[in-house]
Amino acid sequence: MRITVKPLFGAAAAAALLLAACETVPATDAALDDTGAAEAAPAEPAEMVVEVHEGDFATIQQFVTPGGVSVWLVEEPSIPILSLRMAWEQGEASDPEGLEGLTSALVYQMNEGAGDLDSLAFATRMEELNMSFGCGSDSETVYCSASMLTDNADEAMDLVALAMNEPRMDEGPFERFRREQLISLKTRETSQQYLARRALEQALMPDHPFARETSEESINALTPELALARKDEVMVKDGMFVTAVGAMSPQELAPLIDEAVAGLPATSDETPIEDVDLRDPLEAPLVVDLPQPQSLVIFVGKGPARDDPDFFPAYVLNYTFGGGGFESRLMKDLRVEKGLTYGVYTGLDTGDHLNFWQGGGSTKNESAGAFIEGLRTEMTDIAENGVTEQELEDAKAYLTGSYPLSFDSNSKIAGNLMSVRLEDLGIDYLDRRNALVEAVTLEDVNRIAAEYLQPDNFTYIVVGQPEGIEETASLPDPEDEEISLDDAGDQEEHNSEETEAFPDPDHG
Amino acid sequence: MRAYLAGGLAAVAFTASPAFADTAEAEWAPATFELDNGMEVVVLPDHRAPVVTHMVWYKVGAVDEDPGKSGIAHLFEHIMFKETDDLGPGEFDNIVSRLGGQNNAFTSWDYTAYYERVAKQHLEKMMELEAERMTDLIINDDPEGPFISERDVVKEERRQRIDNNPGVILQEQVMSALYQDHPYNITVIGKMEEVSALTPEDGLNFYRKWYTPSEAVLVVAGDVTPEDVRIMAENTYGQIEVTETEPPTRGWRPVEPLAETQLLTHSDPKVRQPNWQRWYLSTSYQEDKEMAYALDVALDVLGGGRTSRLYQALVEDQKIAVSASAGAWLSLHDTAPAILSASPSDGVSLDDLETAYMAVVADVLENGFTEEEVERSRNSLAASSIYQRDSQQSMANTYGSTLAIGGTVEDVLSYPDDIRAVTAEDAIAALRTVLGEDRNYIEAHLLPAEEEGDQ
Repeated sequence: MRITVKPLFGAAAAAALLLAACETVPATDAALDDTGAAEAAPAEPAEMVVEVHEGDFATIQQFVTPGGVSVWLVEEPSIPILSLRMAWEQGEASDPEGLEGLTSALVYQMNEGAGDLDSLAFATRMEELNMSFGCGSDSETVYCSASMLTDNADEAMDLVALAMNEPRMDEGPFERFRREQLISLKTRETSQQYLARRALEQALMPDHPFARETSEESINALTPELALARKDEVMVKDGMFVTAVGAMSPQELAPLIDEAVAGLPATSDETPIEDVDLRDPLEAPLVVDLPQPQSLVIFVGKGPARDDPDFFPAYVLNYTFGGGGFESRLMKDLRVEKGLTYGVYTGLDTGDHLNFWQGGGSTKNESAGAFIEGLRTEMTDIAENGVTEQELEDAKAYLTGSYPLSFDSNSKIAGNLMSVRLEDLGIDYLDRRNALVEAVTLEDVNRIAAEYLQPDNFTYIVVGQPEGIEETASLPDPEDEEISLDDAGDQEEHNSEETEAFPDPDHG
Repeated sequence: MRAYLAGGLAAVAFTASPAFADTAEAEWAPATFELDNGMEVVVLPDHRAPVVTHMVWYKVGAVDEDPGKSGIAHLFEHIMFKETDDLGPGEFDNIVSRLGGQNNAFTSWDYTAYYERVAKQHLEKMMELEAERMTDLIINDDPEGPFISERDVVKEERRQRIDNNPGVILQEQVMSALYQDHPYNITVIGKMEEVSALTPEDGLNFYRKWYTPSEAVLVVAGDVTPEDVRIMAENTYGQIEVTETEPPTRGWRPVEPLAETQLLTHSDPKVRQPNWQRWYLSTSYQEDKEMAYALDVALDVLGGGRTSRLYQALVEDQKIAVSASAGAWLSLHDTAPAILSASPSDGVSLDDLETAYMAVVADVLENGFTEEEVERSRNSLAASSIYQRDSQQSMANTYGSTLAIGGTVEDVLSYPDDIRAVTAEDAIAALRTVLGEDRNYIEAHLLPAEEEGDQ
């Protein structure tokens, strides 16, 4: 996945394992493989085998629809809504060369008209049904989600099916997407998050597809026909994941899903993506000038993969280092003790092809040097001296004790189940997870700290007009020395805010 | 923690309220009672998961600050996490975290709220902790101590939320012009120079005046029964004696009509996409519920989303704008702003955008709405209260924010029915009142530095 500048905030830490990006190869669900019936006609509601996994956090019903779609469902009868998620493991990073933005165009159009409903008629119909449906993408994933009232779920799912099977890709909304994208090419030039991420990609992975971005040329090259063809590459039945939470049984849900995906191709050829081999860290902070009173500082170094035995020790260590809000060492020192920042956070980012440890925070330009110095001092201390027994115990207590908070709503459960599926963690993961945290030892954690958290392992990017940084770096390749703003790219999800401020630190 | 809500965030988040329409709803019905010391309690059962959201809402906010002390309500909220008689520095957070809890707080103009989300077996411990800091907070007056470093933190927070963001800088100027003699004219986080001068003594005075059970509302949402909550609340908050018999007077007051129309511009090298806005004074749910609900519907039809009049005319048909919307912060206690807003397509001037925008408004004011679009909007707004039930926090926020400013549980419960009672005539009448030809407004232009146009 693409480097995310947004730090992993405290409140999100509980769900971090679930929210981390996709991992390893597409899940090979035993159930899905067994059927081999992805193309079977959903004629008769043949006998459907439903495996029930009772767990502490959710009772998951696992089944394959007659049409061949693998579904995880949690029945929740006490609230009259249904949350539905669909996902595929291909995303923006496999857009063809010169057509950067194509997957974004596709997902934007998915609720902009279908069948005999144009964009306005489609949106009006969603309002009439009091439902929502939309799709999004990141570098390795395309996903769609729908929320509806169970009262009229049949009609709502008819509309979802129309969108999935007969999207119109009309010129009107397609040109609107193009206009929005061309404006975002301008506005991203002063977005501190964008500038920081762009600098990191150029510093650490300049030749990888994850560093490719939209440009005026690529946006102008997109057409509705290309977007439709892209749909047939990405949105296919094979490897499609579905999760649902709501007041509905497997028998009620299965035909609705089969209707929704009836017109999708069975399979397609996937475009493989190479793993990222991060370049060596820059030897000094890289400064990107932006006229503002406060500097954003982000730092990125290597991190363990999701299936690496080092992952859980690193995850537990991260809480004490910078992930645990006011319980983290960085927060205690740089905010509480020194008053240098409103928030400083770190997190592990994992994906199929890229794993890293990242963090960030903002401080007034005058104290940017002191802020980075403070970061490095804390890193040196934790790398050399490790953490205490008490800190380890506190981290485990929070990480295990807060896990139930991730399962208190239909939409959270649907999202978390999808992350488990995309990361191929197994249907029993929810109930194994806390034991994996508990098994981490002080020795593990301190070994990881010494290996990963040396201050020189990280590349530091500063966006603003910082003071007090004596030595600064430039990008490794001379021809890339200027950060090219014009052909940089930012794939925004439909409706997301381009100018979103630095996210609020959250507590806990 | 230290967050504060700009009016917009607060207002938008809290407009919808839950419906308990017909079937099997008893299980979700809220319960309310009052402790002997005057603390109100609301219980919102949700038995889906064994967790609770515990919130204490104080009836104090930035409107209650003394002149020259802007920002004290919010800075004080930060100080509440520091130290008490029984809890050392940082211990509050440590205890909550070790129990697997998440906690935070936020301050708005009209209220201040603290919350913990935690497994249900730890609910009473959360009550003990909140009751402790309601009465036994220690404010360290060391001139280089934690109050002072927290003040620096808040200054960094202000830079992060406001000073780094040209659009928010302009918004701060607009609010100041729109509310000349009303405390909404200063942003919740306060003026930088006034925050810099706040002292531990200011904090202590603020605490003594406002933090007392009779000025607080307890909201518990989640896997609990009202009976359980009552017992725990009486064991904890109920033990606090009331010292202040006369409740302090809130800083709310009537908002004077705007004396004249003004244009404010803000240019900044960070702005790459201009923005046009008009801010009018409207009403609020507290001030005039019927009109506010009618205005909710009217602004939704006019500029609430993809199907709205403004979006269809300006973005879809004329392609003169890349965004166009209308809304209002009606959950403020006093008269709230209604905001018209649009961003131009490449090469379109703000003047041309304004002409096109106001032509849509004029057409609506003259010819009204259709029954269909009003019905659709009413149903969407009413249905939002069903979706809201999926989130404990959202439910707790709605009840807490409503009660903290003088509303009732009934107000929240009757929202879907009340909104469904709005007619097309009601909606257009409300819109004509707010946007009429005779009304003054603040116009705001956000511009790139090249198009320098400072007032």
